[in-house]
Amino acid sequence: MQAAHRTYETTFIVNASLDDPQIDSVIGRVQDLITKNGGTVTMLNKWGRKRLAYSINKKTTGFYVNVEFEGPGTVIAQLERAYELDELVLRHLTLVLDKRALAARKATQAAQAAQAALAAAAQAAEVPAAPAREPLFTEQPTEKKG
Amino acid sequence: MTVPYIRKPRRERDSQAMRKKRTCRFCDAKDLYIDYKDEKRLQRFVSEQGKIIPKRITGTCAKHQRQLVTAIKRARHLALLPFVSDTIR
Repeated sequence: MQAAHRTYETTFIVNASLDDPQIDSVIGRVQDLITKNGGTVTMLNKWGRKRLAYSINKKTTGFYVNVEFEGPGTVIAQLERAYELDELVLRHLTLVLDKRALAARKATQAAQAAQAALAAAAQAAEVPAAPAREPLFTEQPTEKKG
Repeated sequence: MTVPYIRKPRRERDSQAMRKKRTCRFCDAKDLYIDYKDEKRLQRFVSEQGKIIPKRITGTCAKHQRQLVTAIKRARHLALLPFVSDTIR
Protein backbone atom coordinates (compact mmCIF):
# COMPACT_ATOMS: atom_id res chain seq x y z
CA MET A 1 0.00 0.00 0.00
CA GLN A 2 1.25 3.40 -0.87
CA ALA A 3 1.81 5.85 1.95
CA ALA A 4 -0.83 8.54 2.09
CA HIS A 5 0.29 11.90 0.80
CA ARG A 6 -0.86 14.99 2.55
CA THR A 7 -0.47 18.66 1.84
CA TYR A 8 1.94 20.50 4.07
CA GLU A 9 3.01 24.05 4.43
CA THR A 10 6.33 25.16 5.74
CA THR A 11 7.53 28.67 6.44
CA PHE A 12 11.08 29.46 7.42
CA ILE A 13 13.16 32.52 8.07
CA VAL A 14 16.61 32.74 6.51
CA ASN A 15 19.31 35.04 7.79
CA ALA A 16 18.67 38.23 5.82
CA SER A 17 22.24 39.48 6.02
CA LEU A 18 23.24 36.90 3.40
CA ASP A 19 23.43 37.68 -0.31
CA ASP A 20 20.58 36.67 -2.55
CA PRO A 21 22.39 33.70 -4.18
CA GLN A 22 23.17 32.30 -0.75
CA ILE A 23 19.54 32.60 0.29
CA ASP A 24 18.51 30.94 -2.96
CA SER A 25 20.84 28.06 -2.22
CA VAL A 26 19.18 27.54 1.16
CA ILE A 27 15.78 27.54 -0.53
CA GLY A 28 17.11 25.14 -3.17
CA ARG A 29 18.33 22.77 -0.48
CA VAL A 30 14.88 22.69 1.11
CA GLN A 31 13.24 22.03 -2.25
CA ASP A 32 15.73 19.27 -3.03
CA LEU A 33 15.09 17.63 0.30
CA ILE A 34 11.36 17.59 -0.29
CA THR A 35 11.59 16.17 -3.80
CA LYS A 36 14.24 13.61 -2.85
CA ASN A 37 12.00 12.22 -0.12
CA GLY A 38 9.09 11.66 -2.44
CA GLY A 39 7.34 14.99 -2.14
CA THR A 40 6.37 17.57 -4.71
CA VAL A 41 6.58 21.31 -4.19
CA THR A 42 3.30 22.86 -5.27
CA MET A 43 3.97 26.45 -4.37
CA LEU A 44 6.94 28.53 -3.37
CA ASN A 45 6.45 32.01 -2.06
CA LYS A 46 9.28 34.32 -1.21
CA TRP A 47 7.99 37.06 1.04
CA GLY A 48 11.40 38.64 1.03
CA ARG A 49 13.13 40.58 3.75
CA LYS A 50 10.89 41.58 6.58
CA ARG A 51 11.36 43.16 9.95
CA LEU A 52 11.06 40.66 12.76
CA ALA A 53 8.62 41.50 15.53
CA TYR A 54 11.37 40.67 17.99
CA SER A 55 15.04 39.92 17.54
CA ILE A 56 16.08 36.32 16.89
CA ASN A 57 19.76 35.55 17.41
CA LYS A 58 20.33 39.30 17.65
CA LYS A 59 18.94 39.84 14.17
CA THR A 60 16.13 42.26 13.45
CA THR A 61 15.34 41.30 9.87
CA GLY A 62 14.74 37.98 8.18
CA PHE A 63 14.07 36.58 4.73
CA TYR A 64 10.74 34.75 4.82
CA VAL A 65 10.04 31.80 2.55
CA ASN A 66 6.76 29.90 2.40
CA VAL A 67 6.62 26.52 0.68
CA GLU A 68 3.59 24.36 0.05
CA PHE A 69 4.18 20.74 -0.80
CA GLU A 70 2.60 17.33 -0.98
CA GLY A 71 4.32 14.24 0.24
CA PRO A 72 4.50 11.36 2.69
CA GLY A 73 4.83 12.08 6.40
CA THR A 74 8.42 10.89 6.41
CA VAL A 75 9.54 14.09 4.70
CA ILE A 76 8.68 16.13 7.75
CA ALA A 77 11.19 14.54 10.10
CA GLN A 78 13.95 14.99 7.53
CA LEU A 79 12.94 18.55 6.88
CA GLU A 80 12.81 19.52 10.54
CA ARG A 81 16.20 17.95 11.14
CA ALA A 82 17.68 19.83 8.20
CA TYR A 83 16.26 23.07 9.57
CA GLU A 84 17.76 22.46 12.97
CA LEU A 85 21.19 21.75 11.53
CA ASP A 86 21.14 24.69 9.18
CA GLU A 87 22.54 27.72 10.93
CA LEU A 88 21.24 30.05 8.26
CA VAL A 89 17.64 29.20 9.11
CA LEU A 90 16.52 31.28 12.06
CA ARG A 91 13.01 29.90 12.49
CA HIS A 92 10.74 27.38 10.85
CA LEU A 93 7.15 26.24 11.09
CA THR A 94 5.65 23.23 9.34
CA LEU A 95 1.95 22.54 9.30
CA VAL A 96 -0.44 20.01 7.81
CA LEU A 97 -3.07 21.79 5.78
CA ASP A 98 -6.43 20.48 6.90
CA LYS A 99 -9.62 20.36 4.89
CA ARG A 100 -10.69 23.86 5.86
CA ALA A 101 -7.35 25.39 5.08
CA LEU A 102 -7.28 23.70 1.70
CA ALA A 103 -10.79 24.88 0.89
CA ALA A 104 -9.86 28.43 1.85
CA ARG A 105 -6.72 28.22 -0.24
CA LYS A 106 -8.66 27.01 -3.24
CA ALA A 107 -11.13 29.85 -2.89
CA THR A 108 -8.43 32.51 -2.75
CA GLN A 109 -6.57 30.94 -5.65
CA ALA A 110 -9.75 30.88 -7.72
CA ALA A 111 -10.37 34.52 -6.89
CA GLN A 112 -6.82 35.42 -7.82
CA ALA A 113 -7.06 33.51 -11.08
CA ALA A 114 -10.31 35.25 -11.91
CA GLN A 115 -8.71 38.59 -11.18
CA ALA A 116 -5.67 37.76 -13.27
CA ALA A 117 -7.91 36.68 -16.15
CA LEU A 118 -9.80 39.94 -15.88
CA ALA A 119 -6.60 41.93 -15.87
CA ALA A 120 -5.30 39.97 -18.86
CA ALA A 121 -8.53 40.56 -20.76
CA ALA A 122 -8.39 44.25 -19.95
CA GLN A 123 -4.80 44.38 -21.11
CA ALA A 124 -5.60 42.53 -24.33
CA ALA A 125 -8.35 45.00 -25.03
CA GLU A 126 -6.09 47.90 -24.27
CA VAL A 127 -3.02 46.87 -26.23
CA PRO A 128 -4.17 47.89 -29.72
CA ALA A 129 -5.33 51.23 -28.42
CA ALA A 130 -2.21 51.98 -26.48
CA PRO A 131 0.24 52.96 -29.27
CA ALA A 132 -2.23 55.45 -30.71
CA ARG A 133 -2.46 57.33 -27.45
CA GLU A 134 -0.71 60.64 -27.41
CA PRO A 135 1.43 61.66 -24.51
CA LEU A 136 -0.61 63.28 -21.80
CA PHE A 137 1.79 66.08 -21.20
CA THR A 138 3.77 67.68 -23.93
CA GLU A 139 6.78 69.57 -22.83
CA GLN A 140 6.41 73.24 -23.04
CA PRO A 141 9.09 75.81 -22.58
CA THR A 142 8.76 77.38 -19.20
CA GLU A 143 8.46 81.08 -19.27
CA LYS A 144 10.90 83.06 -17.32
CA LYS A 145 9.85 86.09 -15.51
CA GLY A 146 11.95 89.01 -16.52
CA MET B 1 -51.11 33.69 33.83
CA THR B 2 -48.54 35.23 31.64
CA VAL B 3 -47.04 38.50 32.63
CA PRO B 4 -46.81 40.85 29.67
CA TYR B 5 -43.29 41.99 28.89
CA ILE B 6 -43.06 45.70 29.40
CA ARG B 7 -40.11 47.31 27.75
CA LYS B 8 -38.21 49.61 30.05
CA PRO B 9 -37.69 53.21 28.97
CA ARG B 10 -34.55 53.96 27.05
CA ARG B 11 -32.65 55.61 29.89
CA GLU B 12 -33.08 52.61 32.14
CA ARG B 13 -32.02 50.15 29.49
CA ASP B 14 -28.86 52.07 28.79
CA SER B 15 -28.03 52.37 32.44
CA GLN B 16 -27.95 48.59 32.71
CA ALA B 17 -24.65 48.63 30.84
CA MET B 18 -26.48 47.10 27.94
CA ARG B 19 -24.20 47.49 25.01
CA LYS B 20 -25.02 46.54 21.49
CA LYS B 21 -24.41 42.83 21.07
CA ARG B 22 -21.23 42.29 19.18
CA THR B 23 -21.19 39.60 16.57
CA CYS B 24 -18.29 37.40 15.72
CA ARG B 25 -16.42 38.87 12.76
CA PHE B 26 -15.42 35.46 11.53
CA CYS B 27 -18.98 34.15 11.62
CA ASP B 28 -20.10 37.19 9.65
CA ALA B 29 -17.47 36.54 7.02
CA LYS B 30 -18.44 32.97 6.29
CA ASP B 31 -15.88 30.22 5.69
CA LEU B 32 -12.97 32.45 6.46
CA TYR B 33 -9.84 30.59 7.38
CA ILE B 34 -7.90 32.32 10.10
CA ASP B 35 -4.40 32.30 8.76
CA TYR B 36 -1.27 32.95 10.80
CA LYS B 37 0.26 34.69 7.78
CA ASP B 38 -2.42 37.36 7.83
CA GLU B 39 -0.72 39.46 10.46
CA LYS B 40 -2.74 42.59 9.74
CA ARG B 41 -5.97 40.83 10.59
CA LEU B 42 -4.48 39.20 13.67
CA GLN B 43 -3.14 42.49 14.92
CA ARG B 44 -6.70 43.64 15.52
CA PHE B 45 -7.12 40.93 18.14
CA VAL B 46 -3.98 41.74 20.03
CA SER B 47 -3.57 44.56 22.53
CA GLU B 48 -0.93 47.23 22.25
CA GLN B 49 1.25 45.23 24.56
CA GLY B 50 0.86 42.22 22.33
CA LYS B 51 -1.59 40.34 24.52
CA ILE B 52 -4.44 38.39 22.98
CA ILE B 53 -7.69 40.28 23.61
CA PRO B 54 -10.35 38.13 25.33
CA LYS B 55 -13.42 37.19 23.36
CA ARG B 56 -15.71 38.95 25.78
CA ILE B 57 -14.27 42.22 24.51
CA THR B 58 -13.91 41.47 20.82
CA GLY B 59 -17.15 39.48 20.59
CA THR B 60 -15.54 36.60 18.76
CA CYS B 61 -17.35 33.29 19.25
CA ALA B 62 -15.66 30.46 21.10
CA LYS B 63 -14.99 28.40 18.00
CA HIS B 64 -13.25 31.19 16.17
CA GLN B 65 -11.45 32.46 19.25
CA ARG B 66 -9.76 29.07 19.50
CA GLN B 67 -8.67 29.25 15.87
CA LEU B 68 -7.56 32.82 16.35
CA VAL B 69 -5.42 31.94 19.35
CA THR B 70 -3.54 29.21 17.50
CA ALA B 71 -3.05 31.55 14.55
CA ILE B 72 -1.66 34.29 16.80
CA LYS B 73 0.67 31.87 18.52
CA ARG B 74 1.97 30.61 15.19
CA ALA B 75 2.50 34.16 14.02
CA ARG B 76 4.42 34.89 17.20
CA HIS B 77 6.68 31.92 16.65
CA LEU B 78 7.60 33.27 13.23
CA ALA B 79 8.19 36.77 14.61
CA LEU B 80 5.25 38.15 12.63
CA LEU B 81 3.67 39.29 15.88
CA PRO B 82 5.45 40.23 19.08
CA PHE B 83 5.21 38.23 22.30
CA VAL B 84 5.67 41.47 24.18
CA SER B 85 5.53 44.72 22.31
CA ASP B 86 8.39 47.08 23.05
CA THR B 87 6.28 50.24 22.88
CA ILE B 88 6.40 50.33 26.66
CA ARG B 89 10.11 50.96 26.67
